[in-house]
Amino acid sequence: MTHLLIQFVLALLATGGFSVIFRIPVRRIPFCALVGAFGWITEEIAVYYYSSPVFGCFIGACTVGLLSTLASRTLKDASTIFVIPGILCLVPGLKIFNTMYALLKGDIAEAAQIGTETLLMAGAIALGLLTIGAILRVFFALARKTVTLRDKF
Amino acid sequence: MFPGRSAAGILTPPPVRYYDGTMDRERKKAILNLAVQAGEIMMKSGGEIYRVEETITRVCKACGIDNVEVFAMPTGIFVTLDNDIAGDTASTYIRRIHSSETDLNKISQVNQFSREFTTTSMTIEEGMARLEEISGSKPYHFAIRVVAAGLCASCFAVLFGGSTIDFLSALIIGMISYTLSRFLEKYDINFFIRGLCSCALATFLALVVATSVRGASYPYIISGAIMLFVPGVPITNSIRDFLSGDMLSGLARMVEAFLIAVSLAAGTGIILKIWTVIGGVTL
Repeated sequence: MTHLLIQFVLALLATGGFSVIFRIPVRRIPFCALVGAFGWITEEIAVYYYSSPVFGCFIGACTVGLLSTLASRTLKDASTIFVIPGILCLVPGLKIFNTMYALLKGDIAEAAQIGTETLLMAGAIALGLLTIGAILRVFFALARKTVTLRDKF
Repeated sequence: MFPGRSAAGILTPPPVRYYDGTMDRERKKAILNLAVQAGEIMMKSGGEIYRVEETITRVCKACGIDNVEVFAMPTGIFVTLDNDIAGDTASTYIRRIHSSETDLNKISQVNQFSREFTTTSMTIEEGMARLEEISGSKPYHFAIRVVAAGLCASCFAVLFGGSTIDFLSALIIGMISYTLSRFLEKYDINFFIRGLCSCALATFLALVVATSVRGASYPYIISGAIMLFVPGVPITNSIRDFLSGDMLSGLARMVEAFLIAVSLAAGTGIILKIWTVIGGVTL
């Protein structure tokens, strides 16, 4: 639990750092940091229970997509602002390095293994964003339809 | 969210700024200029294609143009305006987009601007002045961004499994490599060389720290510093472009992201190899 709490705080700070680098307005930074931190934490929890980094990335990306859409709807701002710093947290930086390291060692089998996993993780991030985007699009379309129908009758 | 929908949520017709049968060329040019300027700022700051196209369309429609066709790509914007009036000719504007620097504040501000422009009676001249102001805005001081970059790198170093010493060294190394990256950007060095050099410097410094300080482990420091240059914006945007059906831009941005990732790996790899050859570490 303490471990998770420390991770949460670190992810908050890291996403906050990204938000400053990408020049997000000050009043939006707390929300961006929260989106990123929740994405990281859900990824960690998914990896802990299912021990698959690829699945973890997928769940993390779904969380980031969902939270950032909610934030952009409630705060009436472009959703890009919340998605970009949040997604950056999920990018497997250590895996990129390890792939390079294995390649330099001349261990092609290990490089191929880690490299494939890195690519799959990137794919999982993309898939997570796509899935949640498609689901939310359908959901909001249905919600709008319901509201229009209610107004009609 | 929707054109013509006021804050109260009631559908109101968008305020028409100019429509008296004919539209003179000067007026059309001013509208085109305003719309393309808004689109250019968004595209340069890292906006998605559909957002750029939607902003341009909304601004033009709010000025009373009947038919607006926009084709936007990361390297250029094409806009054609046409009115359903006899004797009126279509006008087209092409804007080539060169450099780009991620600035999400500008996207947010242009978004706000387009919402305001379509719902209030802002004139074209006022709109242009507002866009000039947005395009010249500088949100954070360089020193603050450098500190943020350092913080970012160090937090990731610990998140990946590093220790307190790794935290401190990644803080400093992140700051230095981010400064180098900004410095190279100032002199218009292309993104591949920029990523390569920044990562090479970060790797070199991490190796120096790891050999001279007890308890520091370079994999965590290097991967923390790499996170600063990871192509998060192109990846996210390419996914969102694919989602909204802009295949060409999605593909272009995916290739960009891939090239950046290759440059980071190459920068790290070159220095690690040289270091091994000299005899600093054994892989």
